[in-house]
Amino acid sequence: MNNNDNWEEDEEDDEEDMEFSRNYFLAKELTSSVKKSKHKITDIDVVDEQELRDASLQIQPKHENEIAVLMDSYTSMYPEWLLSLRCGFALLMYGFGSKKALIEDFASTTLTEYSVVVINGYLQAINLKQVLIALAELLCDQLKAKRKVSGRQPFNTQSMEDLLTFLYEAEVEDTDSFVCVVIHNIDGPGLRDSETQQYLARLASCTHIRIVASIDHVNAPLFWDKNMAHTQFNWCWYHVPTFAPYKVEGMFYPLILAHGSASQSVKTAAIVLQSLTPNAQSVFKVLAEYQISHPDEGMPISDLYSVCRERFLVSNQVTLNSHLTEFKDHELVKTKRQSDGQDCLHIPLTTDALQKVLLEIS
Amino acid sequence: MRKRDGGDLAQVTVTIRIPPLHSLVISRHNRANLLPALISEEERSSTTKPVATVFNRMAPSSPINTASQPPSTAENDIQPFFVLHKASHRRKDRTPVRQGKYRKRNEVSPELPQSSKKGEESTNEECDRRFCQQMQIEAFDIVWTKIESTIKDVLRDLNASVFNNIQQWVLEGYNTTRLVGEPSIAEATRSFPVLNNTTPGKLYTALVITRNIEFVDDIVTFEELGIFLKSHGCHVAMLSSMEFSLKNGIAGCLKALLREFLGGSFDQSADLSTLASWYREQDNYNKPLVLIVNDLERCCGSVLTDFILMLSEWVVKVPIILIFGVATTVDAPRNIFPSHALECLCPSTFMLVTPAERMDAIVVEVLVKHCTTFNIGHKVAQLLRNYFINQDGTVTSFIRALKVACLLHFSMEPLSLIHGRILVEDQDAKSGLSPETMSKYMDELPSYARNKMVDQTNKSMAEGLSELVTVQKLWSTVVLCLYEAGKYSRVRLLDLFCEALNQVLYPSRDSVCHTRDEKDHGLPSTNDPCQQYSILQSGGFICQIARRVRDLPPGKLDQLIDSWEKITADISEIHEKLKILQSSVSFKDGKSSRRSSKDISKRSVSKIIDKESRLSNLQAIAFLDDLVRNYLKPIEGMPFHEIFCFNNVEKLQLVLIGDPRRRIQVDLLDFHDILGCSCCNKSGKALLPSMHDSSIMYSLAQEHGDLINLHDWFQSFRTIVLQNTNKRKQKSKNTPSSKKRKEMNESGDQNEASIQARFCRGVTELQITGLVRMPSKRRPDFVQRIAFGI
Repeated sequence: MNNNDNWEEDEEDDEEDMEFSRNYFLAKELTSSVKKSKHKITDIDVVDEQELRDASLQIQPKHENEIAVLMDSYTSMYPEWLLSLRCGFALLMYGFGSKKALIEDFASTTLTEYSVVVINGYLQAINLKQVLIALAELLCDQLKAKRKVSGRQPFNTQSMEDLLTFLYEAEVEDTDSFVCVVIHNIDGPGLRDSETQQYLARLASCTHIRIVASIDHVNAPLFWDKNMAHTQFNWCWYHVPTFAPYKVEGMFYPLILAHGSASQSVKTAAIVLQSLTPNAQSVFKVLAEYQISHPDEGMPISDLYSVCRERFLVSNQVTLNSHLTEFKDHELVKTKRQSDGQDCLHIPLTTDALQKVLLEIS
Repeated sequence: MRKRDGGDLAQVTVTIRIPPLHSLVISRHNRANLLPALISEEERSSTTKPVATVFNRMAPSSPINTASQPPSTAENDIQPFFVLHKASHRRKDRTPVRQGKYRKRNEVSPELPQSSKKGEESTNEECDRRFCQQMQIEAFDIVWTKIESTIKDVLRDLNASVFNNIQQWVLEGYNTTRLVGEPSIAEATRSFPVLNNTTPGKLYTALVITRNIEFVDDIVTFEELGIFLKSHGCHVAMLSSMEFSLKNGIAGCLKALLREFLGGSFDQSADLSTLASWYREQDNYNKPLVLIVNDLERCCGSVLTDFILMLSEWVVKVPIILIFGVATTVDAPRNIFPSHALECLCPSTFMLVTPAERMDAIVVEVLVKHCTTFNIGHKVAQLLRNYFINQDGTVTSFIRALKVACLLHFSMEPLSLIHGRILVEDQDAKSGLSPETMSKYMDELPSYARNKMVDQTNKSMAEGLSELVTVQKLWSTVVLCLYEAGKYSRVRLLDLFCEALNQVLYPSRDSVCHTRDEKDHGLPSTNDPCQQYSILQSGGFICQIARRVRDLPPGKLDQLIDSWEKITADISEIHEKLKILQSSVSFKDGKSSRRSSKDISKRSVSKIIDKESRLSNLQAIAFLDDLVRNYLKPIEGMPFHEIFCFNNVEKLQLVLIGDPRRRIQVDLLDFHDILGCSCCNKSGKALLPSMHDSSIMYSLAQEHGDLINLHDWFQSFRTIVLQNTNKRKQKSKNTPSSKKRKEMNESGDQNEASIQARFCRGVTELQITGLVRMPSKRRPDFVQRIAFGI
């Protein structure tokens, strides 16, 4: 019977796998068979960006009461979470919705007896060394008196290795004493590289450090190999969807509708151009004017060169090329190869936008 | 104010779009991170700087009720990190106080009701809770420490012979290396290698084949090896493949090596000569230096090659011996190193035990022989087995799963606290729970209630518990006997273990024996004596084992019976039965051997021998059958088993194996099940405007292929959000306050800007969860779906 059981389970697994791949190919097929929608994002009548930003601050939350009840229901799990931490496990919270408020509530109501450091992983860049220094200082306060006396190098001059070694070897009087590190979005952009994850894993394996982390990305577990996940972090998973809006977490993401709008590009282009030399600006103007008068074709480089030379904007091809490189780096200019094999330059902006840009820089 | 802010933010986004400026932003961030205090200064001084404006922007976007929150919250949100609070000083004298309070409570408990003021009650409750948790932790610590040390011992025993071999080899290698040329003091203190002949020295290299796909288990093994060698007078350095990376380079490796041998005390310019002079020191000299690298295949070949070439030049002054963990085959070094590096190595091969062997040894000690009273139920066992065999395959994660099970057991079953105490002290007296509470919990145990109903004996708890222990002992003996027999048919212990725990099979085993009608089975009703044993009929692993025993050749059968004798030695009940079996078998053996010695070639004789040995095989089966029927009682059928046996497989699975990929999608698609709101459950699967924006959007995304056209997506979102607007207006049964809110909603929520903003936020949220990928430059109008199917 057992045998059969397992077989069935295996089959189920297989079926799941099959289901998954089938779904993937169905989705692929759907794209190719159904005629790809030709609609452009620019077809949406996007309101002014300013208005959009204002509106996004005014969005009415939905299900506020239900969410409050849900959050409240998680408080009954606080003792269990505390027990897990005290027994040496780390907590990993996942599920849809911002878990920032939940975790900080847990930390400030239940972990009062322990020091708590919060890392905001959703930010773009995090200096882990500073965090380690702060942790080392916190832990240092709890150290055995005699060890405290011995002269030590100040933490901020020590290397990552030294700091981790210190944290790893620190002995504290009370065995049930630890510093809790809350990491919002351990899968966030600032912590996403493998080196940082390795450091975090090593931090997590220190005797007097406990981690409470949250993830939002469905593939976040791929960061960790088995050693990290099972022995260093030692996660206990808790599924705690909150449905709270990702206010702070989403702050650094561009608004998708604002992203491609014309006004946006105008501003971008104008800012870049203003930072360039007057000659470079003039070269751009030549190109822009040509494009306005010949909207459907690009400008051959040789033509551009001769016009610029006539106007004393450049003296040789090298100077022109350096200007063009600058433009290309900022995506102000693109090269297209035309049917006759000639490289043509064009500016990836609409005529309207181009006129606005010219106005801005003149 | 807001307007100006918004304008600034636009600039910020601008900067993010352009690569060079973008990197500028990052670098500014870094600076801001280094000096968090600077941010506010920057904020004040300049509003045009992109970063400053980003941070400036933050204040309005943080929760609307900023007033009710401490002002620092919004600021903290944008700090890379901050200290939420420091440990309160209360905890310093917490433990003794609690102990004291507890004692008091126990002594005074009858009088407590008299002084039941409200405040005191709540503090008492709090105190109880804390005390309870303290007890849980103690119990967990006691049980887990025991299990852990048992596992450690098991693994050490398993590895002992390999470790001894390696240590012998290290000594030999060291002595030979030294014989090659002992450097004179003058030579040894020079800061360049000794090169007395043109060929570089040979490095003794052990290739330890781990026979394991995963390296996690081996990390521990190699750590143990390091400790073992240290205790046998070697200097040991452990480096991992992370040190041997291109990024680290040879300098990084060297530094790591020095750190391992010398500790932290060396300056930045240190090189191998530092190591050589350290080795010359009195305490360090005359001991072999061993470098262990536990995952050879993951190292960067070129770095490791350089490192080896360097070491081989210094080998006279620094007699270092290498130990590599090899996960694949002995050929691995040949694939990694070029020939001139291979020439420097003098390899020997060692084999570690396989994960399966380790697993079996651990299961025997921890779960079958019960080093503690902690136990797992059938379903949990099956989960662990499937997890080990189908998904993970590492002993490490099996142990971890066991640890989590143990933790959950103590956190969920109040009576489990008895457990830890039973191990260390005598039973009830100090179990931490008063007898009254204990019996209260007892009554709640389903198994106890069941038992009470079935037989009205009302056994006392002590009896129940001692019976449980006895039955467990018998059970584990039977499992061990079966396992011993199973070794001949390659039945895995985990499979056997799961089957032995299965309560469903137990009663059938018990009753099948006599009631079976042979015709039903379609078997020719021969006079095959095997038919009478249920053990041969039931199917499954036990049956498999029994069948193998039936066909065992006599020599092996004797071996098996001998091993049974050892297992059953201190269980008199079973041992007696074994004695009977032994006497009958040995009697026949005696006879047959006598005969066979007369004339082996005669067929008839060999037939007789055959028949007789078959008879003894049958007797062995009868013995097994008897054991299985009478003693293989799964613990879950016993009263009080909840105290010792963890069986909440769902909970374990949740905590052990997170499944964010599936669950986050389910959260979005079936959010109603979680929130349980009254507004969204009316019309089955149809999308309602009251639903969560991200849920609506993700449900809509399901209808697209792997690319979602942003325009179409937005339009369908807009349609859903705007539908029923009129209907909602008609429904005016709501309370005035909610009506008012709705009106506000409509004015604020239904306009174009708001819908677009909601759409943008939905996309951002799905992007955070990783379910959609942003438009690429090639396809600016499409986002890409990442997940297909739940």
